[in-house]
Amino acid sequence: MSHSERSDIFLLDAERTTWHDETLWFVREKRDKAVYATPEFQKLRQLASDIKDHTLSRLDFYLQQFEENARRNGVHVHWAADATEHNAIVLGLLRQHGATRVVKSKSMLTEECHLNPHLLANGIEVIDTDLGERIIQLREEAPSHVVLPAIHLKKEDVGDTFHKYLGTEKGNNDPQQLTETARQHLREKFLAGQVAISGVNFAVAETGTVVVCTNEGNADLGVNLAQVHIACMGMEKLIPRLSDLSVFTRILTRSATGQPITTYTSHFTRPAEGKELHIVIVDNGRTQQLGRPDFRASLKCIRCGACMNTCPVYRRSGGHSYDFTIPGPIGAILSPNIDMRKHASLPFASTLCGSCTDVCPVKIDIHTQLYKWRQVLGEAGKLPASKKWSMRLLSRVLAKPGMYSAGGKVARQALRLLPHGLTHGQGYNPWAIARELPEPPQQSFREWYAQQPQNDKA
Amino acid sequence: MSSREKILAAVTANQPAEVPLPTVPFFEGDASVEKFTALVQAIGGRVVEVAALAHLEEVVRQLFPADYRMASPLLSSTNVSVDAQTPLAVLADVELAVLQGEFGVAENGAIWLPEENMLHRALPMITQHLALVLSQQQLVATMHQAYARLATVGGYGTFLAGPSKTADIEQSLVIGAHGARSLTVLLVP
Ligand code: SF4
Repeated sequence: MSHSERSDIFLLDAERTTWHDETLWFVREKRDKAVYATPEFQKLRQLASDIKDHTLSRLDFYLQQFEENARRNGVHVHWAADATEHNAIVLGLLRQHGATRVVKSKSMLTEECHLNPHLLANGIEVIDTDLGERIIQLREEAPSHVVLPAIHLKKEDVGDTFHKYLGTEKGNNDPQQLTETARQHLREKFLAGQVAISGVNFAVAETGTVVVCTNEGNADLGVNLAQVHIACMGMEKLIPRLSDLSVFTRILTRSATGQPITTYTSHFTRPAEGKELHIVIVDNGRTQQLGRPDFRASLKCIRCGACMNTCPVYRRSGGHSYDFTIPGPIGAILSPNIDMRKHASLPFASTLCGSCTDVCPVKIDIHTQLYKWRQVLGEAGKLPASKKWSMRLLSRVLAKPGMYSAGGKVARQALRLLPHGLTHGQGYNPWAIARELPEPPQQSFREWYAQQPQNDKA
Repeated sequence: MSSREKILAAVTANQPAEVPLPTVPFFEGDASVEKFTALVQAIGGRVVEVAALAHLEEVVRQLFPADYRMASPLLSSTNVSVDAQTPLAVLADVELAVLQGEFGVAENGAIWLPEENMLHRALPMITQHLALVLSQQQLVATMHQAYARLATVGGYGTFLAGPSKTADIEQSLVIGAHGARSLTVLLVP
């Protein structure tokens, strides 16, 4: 299924689509307020972008520096070339500790690697502890947003889910009470967790520290209660210096939700006495993306979600329509790197309005990359079928002025004479499903121009 | 070749030509008690000014029920003793922790809390309510000053900003997700 076909499913519920659209736009407005209240915000964006550009240009050095410092801190560092190796490393560590109960805080990387199904299949209980993630885990769904994983759901859905799995009263849809239920339910899991898995927001090369940002406190709670902490990170999470965190902590949540900072910005450098800290550094296609000059900037992403909140397509199609771990504009430039054929329709899920690029805190040229992926897909013969044939026809017509002007004449007449049902037929003119064609003009510009008095033509 | 070598070789082959690392300017700002207080309140916390350190015990008693199971290295009236070896079952029952914050950040209401001040790494999150004692003299304006003050982040440390919260159900803000349900900043001279 293509992005637009999956969007159709989301759009069946008009009321929900409107709610989704308006709610995310509201988050975007909160972002604007926070940004305008920070006078140096644009300078911070430039700094963040430059720091990330520099880091990517010396990534081999920083990876090794990070590893060396982390090892010196008593941390175990592991390297995974792909998702399979990542999952094997994590399972190996669990086996080594005889662990069967794992608590996990939010990590898009472990989603990307499909860690949960792998662990479950091997007899490990793995509990997602971020509230939104727990909700979708109970429903066996994928996250639909990088920061707001359950944004596709209404409180009634959550009420039903909790009634079914956590025994809340039927029809209790009060967010406060549902959150309290989750708090009690997850406390038991936290206290029973033998190993805690977390993601990583930033990894500081000069100190070997990993930084994890949450509002709920679930990462800290899980990690600090368990015997073993496994932090899983994509290799692009590196930043050179501790002081660089000042830039990133100032832009991350302001861009994401409009908060001035997350509730917990936690720095893990050494394991607690008698405990273990493991860090798994994952490639899984990232070195390949690093080697694509047009697309490597996508590795600067700090997963704030701002490009999703602002995107007119994402807001009206929902995160699941992208069918990729990272949805929205950034997902549409990351996904073809992983599987060009499967995700061929995603770079087309954009109006190229550029709003994503405007809000991106690390200045990724997202809409330019969307446009470039379209060219790459075209050259590789991987355009979605509907685009391929219409594009071929159009390019043939545009290449021949005679055919173009004759075609225009026919079209102007035809549009006036043919019945509406024919010109707007849904089967062959998907453009007209929700749009009206303009009134065709009497003559073309060329015809009009030819009639103008000679001396007016400069 | 191990994955480590393979990955590093691919990075070296694929990374672009080096571009410079910028120097981050020292952006200044308002470091006043008023600004800090406003931010703490905006993120769901409360600020209580304590006239003198000697009154701390009394203020805590006024703010919280006397029968709360309380852990604190700063007060003599604690009834739960916590250290790094405390069993989880004991930790899980703590209702109030009163800990020393190192310094506050006025632009976002965050307070630096290093491991050394926590008694147990999980205490600031597992306690039902958290109070952080902070000196009015220890306020900085922005995160730039904050990180400049940290020669090291130690084994573990967190910038803690307000009570634990979530908006994962329909974007409605709920205070008290997994960490402390409330945060009180006890501002001492
Ligand atoms: S691409 Fe930019 S705006 Fe989108 S999630 Fe990443 S950092 Fe945020």
